[in-house]
Amino acid sequence: MIDPVAAWLARLALAGVFASAALHKGRDLDAFAAAVAAHRLVPEATVGALARALALCEIAAAVGLLVPASTPLAAGVAGALLALYTGAIAINLARGRRAIDCGCGGPARVPLSGWLVARNALLVAAALACAGGGAARPLAAVDAITIGGGVAVLALLWIAAHGLLASAASFARPAEAA
Amino acid sequence: MNDALWISNALLWLAVVALAAVVVALVRQIGVLHERLRPVGALALASGPEVGAAAPRAEAVDLAGTPVAIGGPDPDGRDLLLFFLSPTCPVCKALLPALASLARESGLRVVLASDGPREEHAAFVARERIALPYVLGTALGLAYRASKLPWAALLDGAGVLRAQGLVNTREHLESLLEAKARGVASIQEYLERERKGAA
Repeated sequence: MIDPVAAWLARLALAGVFASAALHKGRDLDAFAAAVAAHRLVPEATVGALARALALCEIAAAVGLLVPASTPLAAGVAGALLALYTGAIAINLARGRRAIDCGCGGPARVPLSGWLVARNALLVAAALACAGGGAARPLAAVDAITIGGGVAVLALLWIAAHGLLASAASFARPAEAA
Repeated sequence: MNDALWISNALLWLAVVALAAVVVALVRQIGVLHERLRPVGALALASGPEVGAAAPRAEAVDLAGTPVAIGGPDPDGRDLLLFFLSPTCPVCKALLPALASLARESGLRVVLASDGPREEHAAFVARERIALPYVLGTALGLAYRASKLPWAALLDGAGVLRAQGLVNTREHLESLLEAKARGVASIQEYLERERKGAA
């Protein structure tokens, strides 16, 4: 049993994260496929199909999280996707291949780092919070402010954190050639 | 009392959202600042044909398969910017709009050069809606020693190589034109001259 405000925040934030990720992937599927290929975990031939499948799963998770009936299932899909991504990142970190793009989507390219693993751990915690059903108390009117403000702040912090990761990367490797 | 708490809560959330927005704006500015602080001037590597001498002549083919000769004096006396790229290089792709506007604004002849299977390049040209001349030829890349991409070489109307180097940003591209205008081969030579002038 978790407080309904926390559950709502987790649901909306997670849905937002997956919706924006899927949107960026859909807009530039080639770039995402290149990122998947750069992780060197699957055969070249399957990269295109895998990239498309992952983007579709992300859309499904985002939509599913918003529909009350499918929330636990969608939270499961979201958690599985995150576990998959985190595993792929961790393997490449262990290989020492940090310079590749994480394929997270967004305007800037974000290279791999421990921060991404920590970020995904937080998202998995959010997915778990969504999966656990049942409300500890009914929602009150004041909760609307908390949820609205909370979602806005989380979205802004998400954008800021990604911006920092991207610029930290370019500070570390100035004038890198392609 | 309850009303006061409501108002206080709402105001606090407003303040937190505003602060988070400020943080985002600051992060954006860091990114922009960093872009501006990048070293300006195309990085000239020790290799490559000599600047100031006649540029190498090489045969290439355009996407239709017609042979094109690169190098030598231009019939209209226009400068030629040869831009070596690859469809798989994201930095090259990012520079395409800058190249298009350069070709429009400066009267410069801009030619994109690459090598590899023609279908791949035709697909790239269609996808990126490239309107600039596009030629393919391994000999061309070898003649200009374009081993790092995106690489650019600037030839004057007489076919003399005026500047060359690795170009990662629009500023690097512009610095090639600047190098030609100032008559220096590279940013290194320019700095060297400045240092000697000051001494």
